[in-house]
Amino acid sequence: MLRFLVRRLLGAAVILLLISAITYFLFFFLPSDPALLSCGKNCDPQNVALIRKNLGLDHPIWVQYWHFMVGIFAGRDMPVGHCPAPCFGYSFADQQLVWNTISDRYPTTLSLGVGGAAIFLTVGVGLGLISAWQQGRLFDRVASAASLLGQSVQIYFIGPIAILLLSTKMHLLDRGHDPNWTGDPGGSVSGLLLPCLILSVIFWSNYSRQTRSLMVEQMSEDHIRAARAKGMSARYVFLRYALRGAMATVVTIFGVDLSAVLGGAIITEVTFGLHGLGSLSVQAVLRSDLPLEMAVMLIGATIIVLCNIVVDMAYAFIDPRIRLS
Amino acid sequence: MRIRKARYASAFLAVGALTLSAACSSGGADDGKKPSGDEKKASVQNFGIGTKADSTGPAVPVEGAKPGGTAYDLDQAGFDYLDPGQQYVSDMLSLQLLYNRSLTGYKIDAKTGKTILVGDLATDTGTSSDGAKTWTYTLKDNLKFEDGTPITSKDVKYGIERLFADYQTQGPQYVQKWMFGTDYRKAYKGPYEGKELPDTVLATPNDKTLVFHFKDAHADAPYAMSMPNVSPVPKAKDDKQKYNNHPVASGPYKIADYKPGKSLSFVRNTNWDPKSDPIRNAYPDKWEFQLGIGEPGLTNRMAAQSGPDKYAVNMSGSADPSKMQTLTTDSQYKSRIVNEYQPYVEVLNINTKRITNPKVRQAIMYAFPMQQVQQAFGGGAQGELGTTLLSPTVAGWQKFDPFGKLAKPMGDPEKAKALLKEAGVPTPVKLSYAYANTPRWQAVSLTLQKALEKAGFQVERKAIDPTSYYTVVGKVNTPYDIYRTGWGADWPSASTVVPPTMDGRNLQDGTNNYAFLNDPKVNSEIDRILALTDISKQNDEWRKLSEYVLQTDTSQIPFIYDKYFNLHGDGLGGVTYNQVFGTINPSTIFVKQ
Repeated sequence: MLRFLVRRLLGAAVILLLISAITYFLFFFLPSDPALLSCGKNCDPQNVALIRKNLGLDHPIWVQYWHFMVGIFAGRDMPVGHCPAPCFGYSFADQQLVWNTISDRYPTTLSLGVGGAAIFLTVGVGLGLISAWQQGRLFDRVASAASLLGQSVQIYFIGPIAILLLSTKMHLLDRGHDPNWTGDPGGSVSGLLLPCLILSVIFWSNYSRQTRSLMVEQMSEDHIRAARAKGMSARYVFLRYALRGAMATVVTIFGVDLSAVLGGAIITEVTFGLHGLGSLSVQAVLRSDLPLEMAVMLIGATIIVLCNIVVDMAYAFIDPRIRLS
Repeated sequence: MRIRKARYASAFLAVGALTLSAACSSGGADDGKKPSGDEKKASVQNFGIGTKADSTGPAVPVEGAKPGGTAYDLDQAGFDYLDPGQQYVSDMLSLQLLYNRSLTGYKIDAKTGKTILVGDLATDTGTSSDGAKTWTYTLKDNLKFEDGTPITSKDVKYGIERLFADYQTQGPQYVQKWMFGTDYRKAYKGPYEGKELPDTVLATPNDKTLVFHFKDAHADAPYAMSMPNVSPVPKAKDDKQKYNNHPVASGPYKIADYKPGKSLSFVRNTNWDPKSDPIRNAYPDKWEFQLGIGEPGLTNRMAAQSGPDKYAVNMSGSADPSKMQTLTTDSQYKSRIVNEYQPYVEVLNINTKRITNPKVRQAIMYAFPMQQVQQAFGGGAQGELGTTLLSPTVAGWQKFDPFGKLAKPMGDPEKAKALLKEAGVPTPVKLSYAYANTPRWQAVSLTLQKALEKAGFQVERKAIDPTSYYTVVGKVNTPYDIYRTGWGADWPSASTVVPPTMDGRNLQDGTNNYAFLNDPKVNSEIDRILALTDISKQNDEWRKLSEYVLQTDTSQIPFIYDKYFNLHGDGLGGVTYNQVFGTINPSTIFVKQ
């Protein structure tokens, strides 16, 4: 297990290093010039040269990259002042320490991701299990139709409708706002409920359909029939044997989905006016804000890589046939 | 000088909705009808200069207003800078009125909208001597920072000194350049090395007086003194770049909490004396800014006005184009609409280094389909048909339409063809057309291509990434023939329009003369007019010169006077508009009790 973990973490470090280098160097292949984008209305060559110097863009690209990477682990001194580790630099666009911005925004993304994942996993897997249990009956048909519908809609479509109906017209739910867990935990829950529910819609449909089909497939396996023949109850076999067999696939999908939402649920955040990593990443790209782009890219990539490692480790616990080596 | 760079975030995020809107717009453009009557004509102010009496506080009370309550602002973007030294664009100009005071400022009558320049910190708009090279200002009594420290002329001088530091790259540079010329940073490095600006350029003979000595005559100096960066900064609180997060208030509010890109809260500055302030009524007890709200969600919120949104404005952003049809036709929104001129004029630049024959440029002018482009742009509520290179928000503006564009707003392809024939160029004339790749400009480009091709041109459209658009078209060797830009005056005088966009000397990458016009007559006229000391005469001369450029050089085709269009919550009263900034004026707003 330890060897597996060490090997995967080393591999992850190499992947992240490559991603950081590719992102950084690709940025400079774009035709846009961050200094010109930052010059506002004073774009005479002297001012642009000064901005280029202030942003640290007057060094060769590889030197800039080296400074950036060193800063993440050791901090660095910048024209604006000292930037302590983990230093992702200062935002080109809003002149803030990137790490401070990330720290400010991540609670929203984490809350939205965890809340949304809890809902879509519970609802999706639950519906899938009941549908498989009730295969061919009315519940199964209704649930399958609902899943198909859920998978067909998009957040940018149902989000505004949900806000209009549930918040503006009926005043049932909050329209969505950033959480403040220390100052207003109750308000944080109500502010995240609608975004989490809407975020979960497009995900739980997939879980419901996958869980149902996996469970139906499992129920026709020889070992299930053998267990039933031994006299075990249908419910026990369903939950103890069939569910365990189906879980490996569900966990794989969940790992991918969770890492995606924890890396920033862009459309949900924008639709509900939330300030998380998703909306921040859009802002970074649109404003050619390299330090911010690098930070959201690396954080997103780290989450994905770590989630993949955790999923791989989870296989060993779910399926005894799998050994980590 | 202000460049209009579109807010591309909204465009990116609302592609679906806008594409639909754009398709409808361009599709309906050729029906020969007048533009939809979804807008009223905005009024044109005369922007006079107020007297000493006009500069005396307190501000004229707004009818029905009472102090108290919390006003809200919903904003699509955040504020890049809170440091007044670095503020230059519309949303920040409007914002800083809450906490920052300059030597002069714009006083707006809540009833009539009449806008005049008055003394803000100063007792008047300044006294000139030495042929408008020297300007003297006297500070009012009882001016204090938020911590109760008196504001003196030394604090204003220090605020100007720090504009010379290397990190101060964003704010207006008029005063610095007028003192030392273009290379002002070589003459003075800022106050951080212990040196002050010499008395020969800025003297403070006592705590109340500032004397500016400029190299040349500047009749419009009172306007330059209204920019946010001509304001006091307490030396003890200045920590260079970090001052951006905690500027010290001299206005009616001070910052209570700031989360960049997310939220900004103001509470009352108890050390602000309303009797010293002729501009700000400052009725609400608090201002809450919610930042980074994507479109069209923001416009939906303004329309629904549920909860605190009933007390909200959007200071500088116009409503989402995809919602315009509903907002302009549904009568329930009528009483909440503000639809006024912004200082920007949208122009199609014709690269004079590539299209050298004026007759060909005039042919493009005649072929230009203003009405269809207006529809693709978002309709009349977002921009009126414009035929002058100066905006109606510039003092002395007059109607001028030498090519009869308003009579034939759909273009005159026959006239264009005749001009091409006269020019003796082989047709079709090839044009490479660069446009920013956003839904709005995609729609405009298709409309324009169609019209130009009817008039004897062959147009090759080239979509440019929005973030690099101005970089690409601002290069001296740009490979494109035609491309759109927008430009607005910094104050209601064309001195911030004509020289930067029409002076052909020292053309270099990043120029604001996007047509690369280099007409010796224009260049020499610019020098002559700048030397005039009578500002109304100067305004008149700028107008004449811009008309000459339009008619003779035809290097730019004006087509839209930008307009602000948005709703405010009906829980707010006294919502006035600042045409100079092109934003809502927060100074007169009150919360209905």
